[in-house]
Parts: sequence; C-alpha cells; structure tokens
Amino acid sequence: MAATIRRIGLTSAWLLVSLISLLPILGIVVGLWPSELVNIADIKPFLAYQGLSVSVFMTLFSAIFSTLISLYIAFMVYSQYHLSRRLQSFEKYLAPLLSLPHLAIALGLVFLFSDGSLFFADSGLPRKGLSTLIIAIVIKEVPFFLLIFSAIGRQLPIKYWLLQGKALGYQDYRCWWFLVFPPLLKQSRLALLAATAYTLSVVDISLLVGPNIPELFAVSVYRWQSSFAAGDQGLAFWSNALLLILLAMSVFILYAHEKFAFAGCKALATQGSRFLIGKINPMFKAWLPMLGLLTAMMVLVFALWSFGLNWHGNWHSDGFALTQLTPKLWQDEWLFFALPLQNSLLIGLLAGLLGVACALLALELQCQKGKYWPDYYWLLAIILPQLSMVLGWQIMHIWYQGGYHSGWIVLSHLPFTFAYAYLVLKGPFQNVEPGYELLAASFGYSAWQSWWQVRFRLLLPAIFTAFAIAFSVSIAQYIPTLMMGAGRVTTITTEAVAIGTGSQQDLIALYVLLQSILPFMAFFVAALLARRFRGSMGGQDVRDY
Amino acid sequence: MTFRLFKSLNSGFVLCFLLLFVVKVNADEELKPVAIVEENSDQWQQTLKAAQGQSVYFYAWGGSKAVNDYLRWATRELAKQYRIKLIHVKVTDPSEPVSRLKAENGRTSAIDLMWVNGENFAYLKQQGFLLGDLWTAIPNAAFLAVDKLPITVDFGEPMHGFEVPWGIGQFNLIAEEAVYPQPQLSAKSLLVIAKKHPKTVTYPRPPEFHGTTFLKQLLVNLSDADPRLYQLASQQAKNELLPVLWQYLDKLHPYLWQQGQAFPSSAAEQLLLYQQQNLSMAVSFNPNQWLKEKSTKQISKSSVRRSFIDGAITNSHNLAIPKSAPSPEAAKVVINFMLSEKAQQEKFTGVWGDPSVINSLFDDKATMPAHPELHSSWHVLIEETWQQRYGG
Repeated sequence: MAATIRRIGLTSAWLLVSLISLLPILGIVVGLWPSELVNIADIKPFLAYQGLSVSVFMTLFSAIFSTLISLYIAFMVYSQYHLSRRLQSFEKYLAPLLSLPHLAIALGLVFLFSDGSLFFADSGLPRKGLSTLIIAIVIKEVPFFLLIFSAIGRQLPIKYWLLQGKALGYQDYRCWWFLVFPPLLKQSRLALLAATAYTLSVVDISLLVGPNIPELFAVSVYRWQSSFAAGDQGLAFWSNALLLILLAMSVFILYAHEKFAFAGCKALATQGSRFLIGKINPMFKAWLPMLGLLTAMMVLVFALWSFGLNWHGNWHSDGFALTQLTPKLWQDEWLFFALPLQNSLLIGLLAGLLGVACALLALELQCQKGKYWPDYYWLLAIILPQLSMVLGWQIMHIWYQGGYHSGWIVLSHLPFTFAYAYLVLKGPFQNVEPGYELLAASFGYSAWQSWWQVRFRLLLPAIFTAFAIAFSVSIAQYIPTLMMGAGRVTTITTEAVAIGTGSQQDLIALYVLLQSILPFMAFFVAALLARRFRGSMGGQDVRDY
Repeated sequence: MTFRLFKSLNSGFVLCFLLLFVVKVNADEELKPVAIVEENSDQWQQTLKAAQGQSVYFYAWGGSKAVNDYLRWATRELAKQYRIKLIHVKVTDPSEPVSRLKAENGRTSAIDLMWVNGENFAYLKQQGFLLGDLWTAIPNAAFLAVDKLPITVDFGEPMHGFEVPWGIGQFNLIAEEAVYPQPQLSAKSLLVIAKKHPKTVTYPRPPEFHGTTFLKQLLVNLSDADPRLYQLASQQAKNELLPVLWQYLDKLHPYLWQQGQAFPSSAAEQLLLYQQQNLSMAVSFNPNQWLKEKSTKQISKSSVRRSFIDGAITNSHNLAIPKSAPSPEAAKVVINFMLSEKAQQEKFTGVWGDPSVINSLFDDKATMPAHPELHSSWHVLIEETWQQRYGG
C-alpha cells in the first residue's frame, strides 16, 4: 500500500515537473508554427536585409561579452568580500540595485553619464551605442552574479581550499583563481546561460541605449513580429529561427569558455607562471561602495523627477531653473497604482513560492534518480525567445477558453520563476554536505524527516535568495501578464512598461520607483534572513576555526 | 499640375485647397449618402439598453499621461451617463491587439474597442476581423467633419465604416525658438540650422512612423509637392523623385545628433532628449502638444511649434470594434460618446489637446495648414530605401 502511494506520488511529481518544463517548448512550437503567410522564399529578403550580419554579430558579441565581463568582475568582487566578516552579508547592499529594473538602470546611466548628460558635456559614453548597452547590462548583471556566488559559496568549503592553497605556498589571489574559480564557474553555468539569453533577446534596453545603425537583432525581430505590413510576418518567422540558432550558439560558446577557463587555470597553476590579473583583485574592493553611490544617485534622480523637478534652462544655458517640487503626481496617481501594486504582490508571492517549490521538487527527483538532466532543458523558459513562446501560450489559452484571471497569469509566470529558482538552487542543492544526512539517518530519522529537517534547513539561505529572485522575476513580467491577462489584471509592471513608452519624465520616474519597491523588499528581507541560517559551509560560526 | 500650385498658395488657402482634395477623394469612391441612425431612434435606444452595465475593454497606447488622463475622465463620464465601465488596457504598441485578434482568429475576443490606424487597420480590414457599418450605426458619426478634414481614408485604405475617426494627427516640430526663428521650415532652412547647431537635430529611426513622416515632409518640400507622390509610385517617378531626398540626407546626416550614427527609437524618446536639452527639436503628430507640454512644464518655456512650409502631413487616428467583441453595443455607445461635443471639446481643451473631428467644433486655429498623405506605396519605398542606404 505504502509503496503504491509512493509510486503514485513520484509519478505525479514527475508529471508536474515535466509539464512545467515542457510549457516553454509547447509555447514556442505553437507560437512559431508557420502560418500560411510563411514560405521558404521569404528567407531571401530576410538574408538580404541591410546590415543583418553586423547586427547579428553585435548582438552575439554584446551578449557573450557583457556576461563574461560581469562574471569576472563579480568573481573578483566576491573574492574581496567573501572572507571579510563585516561584509559577510553584503547581499543586502545589493538589494537596491537588484530591484531597479534594467531599463531604469539604462535610463539613469545615460541621464547621469552619457554625452550631453547632467554632469558631462563629452564623457565619451554615447547616448546610444554598443558600449553604453554593455555597461548598462554589466552594472545590472554583476550584482546578480554576486548573489548567485553567495548562494553557491555557502555550500562550498572555500575556506578549506584557501587554507590548503596557502599551506602549499600560494598567494591569496592565486588560491582564489586556481582553487575557487573553477568550481564556482561550473556551478554558475546556469546563471551565465540565463544572462546571455537575456541580453541576446532584450528589446527595451536595446531600443533605449543600444546602437541602431544597424539596430540590434532582437529589435529587428520584435519589429517584424509586431508588424502586419506585407512580408513582415515572414521576416518575423525567419528571424525567430535565427534567434534560436544564436541562442544555441551562445550555449555552445559558454560551454567552450568553461572548458577553456578550466584548462587555463590548470596550466597557469602547474606552470607557476606569473599571473598578473590576480594583482588587480584588490581594486574591486571599491566596487560595492561605487555601486552604492551609483544606485543612490539614480534613485535620487528618479525621486526628484517624480516630484516634478525639471532641468529647464534657456537653450544651452548653464543655469537650471528648478521648477517647484510637489507631491502632486504621487497624490494623483495613488488611486491608480494601489491596485496594480497589490496584484503584483499576490501574483509574485504565488508564482515565486510555486516556482521555488517546483524547482526543489525537480532537483530532488533528479537526485533520487541519480541523474541530472542537461541544464539548458530546465532553463528553456529563459533561453527561448519570449514573444513567440508566450504567443504560443496565448493561442493555447484562447483554444481552451478558460477566461482571464490571475490564475492564468500565475501559471504563465511559473515557467520563469521555476527556471530562475532552479538556476539559483541547483548548485547549493548538489553541494549539500552528504555527511549531515548520513548522520541524520544514523539517528533514525526517516528519509522525509531528514530531508525536511536537514537538507531543507541547510538550503534555507539559498532558498531565500531563490525566492527573492523568482519573486522579482514575476514582478518584472510584462508580456505574459498582458497576453494571458488580456488587460483584466493590471500589475505595476503592465502600467510601468506602458508609461515607459511615453515621454513624461516625472511619470516614468514614479513608476520606476514603484516597480522597484516590491523586489527591493524581497531582496532585503531575503538577505537579512539568509544571514540567520547557515548553509553546510557558510554562516558565522565556521569562520574562525 | 494642381499640386505645383499647392506650394505657392498662401497657407490660409491651403486648407481650402485640401477641402477640394478631400471632396475629390470622396467623389472618386462614390461615397453615397447613407442613412445614419439617430439618437432617439428605436434602434439606438435598444443599443443603449443593451450596453447598460457592460464593460468595454479598450486597447489603447498607454504611454501618454495626457491620453491616459483623458480616458480616466471619459471612464467617469461613461459610468455616470450610460452605466458603462470603460477599462483602458494600456498597451506599449498598437500591434498588440492586432496580434491578439490574429491569435483569436474569430473566437470571442478579449477586446471590445481599439485605437488603430495605418497598416494595422489595413491588415485587420483585409482579414475581416472588424465590425462594419460603424458610420451608419453610430448617431454622432453624422457630425464628422468629412468635408473639412481628410478622415474617410486611412493611409490609402478607405475606412468603409470599419473604423471611426477619433482625432487628427498633423506632423510638426517642437523646437527651441532661438534656433528656429522662422515660423515655417523648408528642407533648405533645416540644413542651415543643422550646420549652425550641429548635433541638435535628428529624427526617429525609420520605419518608426514619425521618422518616415519626417522624410515624407522633406520629400514633398524637395520635389515641390510633385503630383506623382499622391499616386502609386511608378518606376520612373521613383527614379526621378527619390534621389533628391537621398542627396539631401547625405548632406544632412553628418550634422545630426550622434553624426547620424544613431537615431532616437521613437518620438517619445526624442522628446525626452529634447527635454533634457540634448536636442533643439522634437517631432510630434499632435498640433497642440507643444502648448500642453509647456503648460505642464515638461518642456522649456522657449519652445515653439514649427511646421514645413508645404503644410503639415495630416491623418486621423481612429476607433474600431472587433467583429468578435463580447460587448459591441457598449463599444458603439463609447464611440458615440467619444464623438459627442462634450468629449471632443474636452479632448481638445483638456490635457490632451487633440483637435476635434466634428463639424460643430471645427476650428481653423486648432489645426495647422494641412498637406495630404502621400500614396502608401511611397511610405514603403522610403522605408526600404532608407534602410538600404543608411540603416546598415
């Protein structure tokens, strides 16, 4: 009897997990299913599109380059902070920046620092250009990677490794690069994939700060997909196909980079050659304060805008005529943003919790089976082109005629929250020190008791991080919310994104701030809570052995 | 020939001339006078009754505070007067409802009413996704200023009752007075300004709609409003008219913002750059936007409106109901309300400033001297050649 129940339980668990992970594939197949409008001859005008090759190259380059640069910066920052007791819980300092939407970072960056901006007439940073795009992405990705490293690091015996390395006579930075970097890189592979896929297909930032002669590929794809002029739907189909190829290519490049980095570390370690990059590690101590300052400046700018501050001088005059600061806009909009904020909160909580639960389930099932499926399979929701995928869901939702309510929206967010929770949790989950569970079993704990009281407890810090990320991912969803909810359910993001396409600075700033509030609270609380629980290798008490 | 006259006419007469043009278009289509349902008819009373208590999901661009605020006002009025709940579904791109209707493919729609024009309208009409006979089913359609404004044809596609004009777009520049002292612009004077104030002039990257219209205005000016621009583009016309535009752009681009190596992605982005004093001009389709933006202190006090000497390219933005809309009666009542004197008045004098499309409120001062839209084949041609020459 018990065995039957167990089997039924296991089967349904597998079914649930495979359903969620299959949703993206289902979506992309239905969404990209060629309609009568598409035929093979359309590939000709697509390939002949002026600037296509440069556009594709720029897009691929910016995606890979910004991800890898972010990875290395984040690692160097992490190596500076990991062992400092005071900064142990540096995650909470990341909360403000993590919670600002990508677009807001880009907007703040160009407003403050680009050519003809507030502080610089000629800073060398163009208002629109590849460098600006990459910088904006890097500013946002580094904290994300730091968060991931921190979740992974709690389960890795970094301290022992460093101790061993030092005992063998290696300097500190060499220990970090040769001993800590390779396993950390392997564990954060999923995060790298996610970051690359994001940059490859992001439209809003590309439109705002990306180069547009030629425009980035994701922008072209979006433009064709949303145009119904003759021939454009055919172009949209082929460009989506190419986008899929680019995504596959970037997966390949990241795997190759990993192999190369391993080999490089090994060669450098055994040759004992001079390794200069390590010497600049200490510079990255300044990263967090700089980041803090930058975030504070951006938040201040947005706050001032939302209170009606304008920089109107006469044409090219230096004197800023400060218009009066007034809370009028906040008062006016209050009536209209309370409900979307509440909807966002509820949807985010539900989608976030379910996403984390399903990710844990998927990991546990694979762990029991003793075999892990390829990473990219679980991350399909993040990797596949979102617009086509969600279009597929929309078509299926319309077939089903199930009405429009928040339940559907939660379901449409679930693949994303699941994928992000999975990418945060996988490393920590695999690295839970098996000794503890063995010990629990020897004390007579049942498998379930041992899972819940040992493994789950050890994973708690990572789970908090995973939830905070999943929650903020749900908050940030625009396309699924609009396409599945059909405007019946407004969230703070559906409002903010629509406002963002306009030109009213004060309103844009107000909604940027509103959109950041909920993720900020999630990251902040998660960082505080994570401190109170130790992973198998982290926490305060193992510091000073 | 007639269009050569066009340019020499003084701006006051241009509108009258346009009137002739519109009448001519109407005559071409043999628009027969049809009986429009009246406010107090049984049919309309039934519609009103059926509409009570219904919700209308209105898909409309949500990026403009002025429009959003206007729709909030309309929502209150509709609830009070007709017990209809208007819900503004804020979309980022007018193609979102089109893509949804395509996915729904005739099943009961989530959309009751949509804000549409141009190629999206043409596509929906061809696909048969729109409810027809709106002009005859809606009482206030009788008062549309069809004789005074080009509002029966939407970018070469006759409306044929599948959409109803709601407001008017006229291409203009919002500009710094000190840089643009002349009330009207020509291609030549713009080049002089761009040379004198380098890096302060630009336009949204075509195929963005404002950007393409900017190029059309230049083409009209450079070709002295050649009559062939208003007909299907022939190979010969193309070869004769377009090179002038490209030669001009070759001269202009080095003086543009970012040396023409990048362009704003949208008119909204360009206006933001203008607000932040990076540019000396922005583009707009609302002839009164400059006043409204000034009154809300969004742009500097020294901002003025400038238009091209040939008149502003003029078109309409419209309302349409999907064939499969769940509450078509209520949607019709909403359109009828939107065309009422009260709503059109508020649209013009309130925060938005969009000119009225009905006879009783028609006012020369609300609009600028108008210039007709080019034939839609030129639109495609300009976009494609621009992409070939400058886009890669």
